[in-house]
Amino acid sequence: MSEQDQFRELIEGYAIGALDPNERLALEAHLAEGCPECAKALEEGRLLVSQLAYLAPPAEPSEMLKARLLRTVRAESAPAKIAETKSPGRSIPLWLWAGVAALLFLSVYSSWDARKLQNTVQDMKAREAAELKQREQLNQELTLAKHEAWILTDPNSKKIDIMPNDKAMPVLEAVWHPQMGIYITGQKMPMPKGNKVLQLWLIPKAPGAKPMPSHTFWPDANGKITEMVDDPPEVMAQTKALAITEEPAGGSQQPTSTPIWVGGVS
Amino acid sequence: MTSKYGDDASADAKLVDRFLRRDVSAFEELYDRHCRIVYALVMRIVQQAPTAEEVVQDVFLHLWRNAGQYQSARGPFVPWLLTLARNRALDHLRLKSERQRRREDQTEDMPAIAQAPEYEKALDEKRRAERVRSLMGTLSAPQKKAIEMAYFEGLSHSEIANALQEPLGTVKSWIRNGLLRLKEGLRTAS
Repeated sequence: MSEQDQFRELIEGYAIGALDPNERLALEAHLAEGCPECAKALEEGRLLVSQLAYLAPPAEPSEMLKARLLRTVRAESAPAKIAETKSPGRSIPLWLWAGVAALLFLSVYSSWDARKLQNTVQDMKAREAAELKQREQLNQELTLAKHEAWILTDPNSKKIDIMPNDKAMPVLEAVWHPQMGIYITGQKMPMPKGNKVLQLWLIPKAPGAKPMPSHTFWPDANGKITEMVDDPPEVMAQTKALAITEEPAGGSQQPTSTPIWVGGVS
Repeated sequence: MTSKYGDDASADAKLVDRFLRRDVSAFEELYDRHCRIVYALVMRIVQQAPTAEEVVQDVFLHLWRNAGQYQSARGPFVPWLLTLARNRALDHLRLKSERQRRREDQTEDMPAIAQAPEYEKALDEKRRAERVRSLMGTLSAPQKKAIEMAYFEGLSHSEIANALQEPLGTVKSWIRNGLLRLKEGLRTAS
């Protein structure tokens, strides 16, 4: 059987997601080389596999689900329309400005109330500043969450299994979006020994090229890793693999130990 | 599971086009057309109604918030939607069990679903469901079981072989040959 035939036999298993890691990586490498026959067979395989959904016993969602969805969608749709009509940069509601203006106007005619008014305005400003700060923090968190969601769901992202050298260690997963960066996750991770950290390396395809250092990170107290690398130093197409080593605190410019995890990029 | 609108492919395409322009009423129509099959699929995978509703909500909100991800030129809508729903449901299952993901990731599934061949265009939803079930009924019981374990449980060849106590090569053949027979049967039906 030719090598091409061997890959062709893997297509249906790949489309349904049943290939074991070695076969999957081999087929992905073959597909990355641009085999048109296998690419076409895979597209057909995916369509075919999607038809298996019709084997599911008939079931209907509740009306509440539709109501919840529509409420959310309409709510998300409405603010966008309102925002379009607002002038750019206006973040403080008009009523608030009107309230402040009214108080200022009264202060001119009511000197006895000036101090109270001043305190009120200061209090409002302090509250406004606190709210702006909170909003800014929420926006940052939202941006990060969107960033992660984008990477995880965008069709241009590539999933990379980062396999351990030691089978007792967990498999890590990276999802790499060419523009948005790399999102690495893992569970049940052991804490690095001593004062060391885990460091990500990008191994270039070019023969003799040195590994590119990237982020350093630690598992959390539960052994979980969720690491966002939004500034990978090398483009995906020029990268052969991702590797993770243990390095002294602060990271290294060149690996000082053998990689504990390695995942092929293509 | 037949939609009340029937399953006219061109009507679906027009609806998707309106939906992509952020038309809420198009979103509602798309939901009405496809929520049953999406829910049935997710329910079959996660097995619990509250979880299924949570996943279906996630799927349709993802559609709404990432409408631009779907490109009609790169494949039919319903298989794309079903692939998204299956991946989300399996993700939920795997997060719950903390198993490692072994399937092809959704980000690679999405862009490259084939343009609908004749069988996809010709069969409406109800007939397609009947046809798929009928064709699966022609497979041997363990062959059908292996395909369902891969599709609905997200298990790999090795995991299925272990679970069924069968040789790995046998399981691979069951799944591949079963899918090829299904493909041929659907093509014949068109």
